[in-house]
Amino acid sequence: MTTTIAPFSYIDTDWQIPGRIRDAHRRSWERLSAAGDWWTGAERVSIAAECRRASALVDGLPDPGAGPAELPEAAVFAIHRLIGDLPNVSRDWYDATVSADGMSDARYVELLGVLVAVWSVDEFHRAAGLPLEPLPSPITGEPTQRRPAGLADNGSWPPTLAAKSLADSEADIYLGFPRAANVWAAMSLHPDSVRWLNDLFHAHYLSWEEIGDLETEHRTLTRAQLEIMAGRVSALNECFY
Amino acid sequence: MSHVNLLGRSGSDDQYELSAAVDVAVDSGVPHGRLLLQFCDAAVGRRANLAEIRAAVRRELGDTAAIEAAANIANFQRMVRIADGCGIPLDDRTKEASEGWRDQLGLHQYASAANTA
Repeated sequence: MTTTIAPFSYIDTDWQIPGRIRDAHRRSWERLSAAGDWWTGAERVSIAAECRRASALVDGLPDPGAGPAELPEAAVFAIHRLIGDLPNVSRDWYDATVSADGMSDARYVELLGVLVAVWSVDEFHRAAGLPLEPLPSPITGEPTQRRPAGLADNGSWPPTLAAKSLADSEADIYLGFPRAANVWAAMSLHPDSVRWLNDLFHAHYLSWEEIGDLETEHRTLTRAQLEIMAGRVSALNECFY
Repeated sequence: MSHVNLLGRSGSDDQYELSAAVDVAVDSGVPHGRLLLQFCDAAVGRRANLAEIRAAVRRELGDTAAIEAAANIANFQRMVRIADGCGIPLDDRTKEASEGWRDQLGLHQYASAANTA
């Protein structure tokens, strides 16, 4: 279930995986294994393991097993809903989740940050027909319990950081842009989740700089090909945003 | 679905049929669009023909494009969960630019429409 050998080596495949993708996946496993602001490394690896259990349940596959740490019941429930029952995520459900034992808005956002990173790395492997990478061994350490300054209600369920409100310690998360799209800012209650998102977003799709440049082709797939696929994946998930 | 907006902007006026994102029977006008949409459906829907579709993408578009397509699916499997998991509102510019086609595509029928003011 866990490994300490170099992850994402892609040596048993005839795919030529771009270094951009391979390196972002390796950094993802390094981030995953370390303590965050609100969860230990063991808990973060357990969030990843529960993410895989939720996916296996939806797909009718054998249970891959739990992670090294026990998670609050509300966290387990949240993971299964976010993976397998997305259309039923609602404001009432969010409010109940962040108020449950062992949870908070900050713990929810960090959980979401881990979940979406691991899920997307795994989804790349599933789409490409590659085996899933074994989860990393957790690194010992305690969460910082640091909540960034400048959080405000900007319309999302969790409070977020506006670009103009960033303290020096978070000044990098929007890469110097004067404003951030709502989906970019959504997880800013946990700034490292935004940094992780930036890394995988560029590896899997385009950088935030490239997204606004519709005149240049940045990938082998054309921009229109990338965007019709984006729309289709959103539609299949019934995502209005 | 905000990226449907970018699809429209990536071509000349009406070059692409945006409704292909919700109805695969519609020709998007995007080169190899139908095959790429089949790849999305097979991967997200865990269809039994995923390997066959992936091989077709690889054969017709090449290895690099096929890997980019798999990565693109992964990216938006992530982004929809951030959007819906945080109940984010539409960005003002997106809202203004997409009012027409959101109705046309029937997106207001999605449960998540109630979460995205």
